[in-house]
Amino acid sequence: MGEVVVFRKRRGVELVMLILAMGLGVGAFVLTNLNLYEALPDRWWWGVGAYVAIGLAAHLVIRWRTPYADPLLFPLVYLLNGLGLAMIYRLDQASSPVMHSAELQLTWTAIAVAVFVLVLVLLRDHAVLQRFPYLTFLAGMIVLLMPLLPVIGFENHGARIWIKIGPYSFQPAELAKIVLTVAFASYLVEKKDVLALAGARFAGIDLPRARDLGPIIIMWLTSLAVLIYQKDLGTSLLFFGLFVMMLYVATERPSWPILGTLLFGIGAFLGWRFYGHVQTRVNAWLDPFSDWDQNYQIIQGQFGMAWGGLFGTGWGLGRPNLTPLAKNDFIAAALGEEIGVAGLMAIIVLYGVIAMRGLRAALTARDPFSKLLAAGLSFVFALQVLAIIGGVTRLLPLTGLTTPFVSQGGSSLVANYAMMALLIVVTHRVRMPQAQTNEPLQSLAHDTTQVIAVPSRPDAAATDPRTALTPSQSPSSADEPTQAVPVGADPSGTGDELTQALPTGSPDAEPTQAIPSGTAQTWNPDDTNPQGRLP
Amino acid sequence: MSDLVVLALKLLFLALLWLFVLFVGNVIRTDMFGRKLATNEVGELQPVAELRKQKKPRGRAAKSLPNQLRVSKGKQEGLTLPLGDGIKIGRAADCQLVLDDDYVSTRHAQIVRTDDGYMVEDLGSTNGTYVNNERVTSATPFTTADTLRIGRTLMVVES
Repeated sequence: MGEVVVFRKRRGVELVMLILAMGLGVGAFVLTNLNLYEALPDRWWWGVGAYVAIGLAAHLVIRWRTPYADPLLFPLVYLLNGLGLAMIYRLDQASSPVMHSAELQLTWTAIAVAVFVLVLVLLRDHAVLQRFPYLTFLAGMIVLLMPLLPVIGFENHGARIWIKIGPYSFQPAELAKIVLTVAFASYLVEKKDVLALAGARFAGIDLPRARDLGPIIIMWLTSLAVLIYQKDLGTSLLFFGLFVMMLYVATERPSWPILGTLLFGIGAFLGWRFYGHVQTRVNAWLDPFSDWDQNYQIIQGQFGMAWGGLFGTGWGLGRPNLTPLAKNDFIAAALGEEIGVAGLMAIIVLYGVIAMRGLRAALTARDPFSKLLAAGLSFVFALQVLAIIGGVTRLLPLTGLTTPFVSQGGSSLVANYAMMALLIVVTHRVRMPQAQTNEPLQSLAHDTTQVIAVPSRPDAAATDPRTALTPSQSPSSADEPTQAVPVGADPSGTGDELTQALPTGSPDAEPTQAIPSGTAQTWNPDDTNPQGRLP
Repeated sequence: MSDLVVLALKLLFLALLWLFVLFVGNVIRTDMFGRKLATNEVGELQPVAELRKQKKPRGRAAKSLPNQLRVSKGKQEGLTLPLGDGIKIGRAADCQLVLDDDYVSTRHAQIVRTDDGYMVEDLGSTNGTYVNNERVTSATPFTTADTLRIGRTLMVVES
């Protein structure tokens, strides 16, 4: 009798963590007001109440629909969201007249959590997403390349990663991120064995076979197109990195990430060599102070973080508004200024824990689709955080990605909450105790082929040369030259067919039994009937 | 507010933020290994709603109904599982009884509780479900006197 590991539900822990998280979010808002005005604004309870109510409502839905979900994901996400709201509110106060984008962001939070709840309620089991890998892939590609369309796509701050329908603008890459992760996961579940086959060996690593390079080349060309035409290094890095990492997870072959890094290096070099906007970004990364006007934003971000220092200026006491787009791309710099390196580090740790919990679910998962989906979603999340916070802190060239859950923007918030809902469904299914009663099924390689002769006439069976195919001969039935467990007469007339590996026996017949050659004896279904019913 | 208060509040906020991170670490630590259970206890860990339904008395006949399924022969011999309101048997993860048997279909059969006791139904399996070596074509009563066979596994019901 084996043992199974059962995860606890831990919904109480989630509630406690959520209350602490909301306390910190509300605390940031209160501190901002105290530091700026020494008083809370009129009707402050509206915002605070809405924030708390939305969080509790989402928690109740998690309790109801996904009781085994990971206890940390939602509190962490909601804390990041709260800190983002507080910082957007704080930046509103810096402009004159005072803006109200924090209220808009709070509305978007409500909508995003509604989408989150909708995914939890509608998606009972993420396995349904596995059904149409190619259609999902096509949909993801269309969404990803949508900003290149002439009418709806438009360029904003040097990157063509937006679409605009009427007054609403939207970054489709945020949605494409989820759709393509699902598509890659379902595709790789089918194809991982082929892609893991080794081809030529070079410098100690097995390269993949040339004919299997198709998918990675398609993704490489797509990411190059994103880099060149959408002028966005981050999106390009995000999708190519996601695909390469998922290939690695699926095949466990280090040659894929090595090949992917080389291909991306070549693409990035070509982009840098031939396209001015890439050169500008690289220059702003390596030597921002060489061109004060062009790199104004990144320089202001650097000054802000430098002024903040280790512990920051305090909520409301810095001047993060001097950085252009401080609410969007540069919200990490604004946070770094007001809560310092200590606060920014804590935020990065929170992001890291979210990614880690997703990867943990991938490790726990038993089926390959859940593994790939959880690993892909957490990886793309971590990569996005790395790309944008790395860009703001000048670890990497700056990209136009959003800081998940923190920066201003409805589409990003909705897409990231939907992604978290998907991850929570996966963790719920993965952690749910199942009556898993034994070790995983052995590989089929250990079993002999399950072929059974099905004689149509009992007397024919004795002379049937096909019986030689049946390897097992029971000592007790040595005088019977037929198979160990014969199947009775097949009324359907297909009895002569050997191809039926597991035929459905006729109702009164002995059930079909394939006997692995290792067990050289007849298996008797019942002790009172030791011979079975031989024909 | 005085500068001292502002400084104190600033540091308090950061301390609480890091305290939260420490709490997160603690949750991860306590969540690391889950609980280990012998396989026959797993059946008791059904969702609370199902357990409640199970406890509901359903008249005297229902109370005395034998409700333990025991694997009497096969790889998982000795495994017992409460039948409750019914279970699904197969190789899929959503089955309450996952049989490690090559001749079992993904969703092979189900045992349902009716007013007359437990009934076995085949869910369109490839190799069939047998009660006392009779292939199940419709819902068949399953009592303590019967032996259920699925693939190479034999099961009996007992109280």
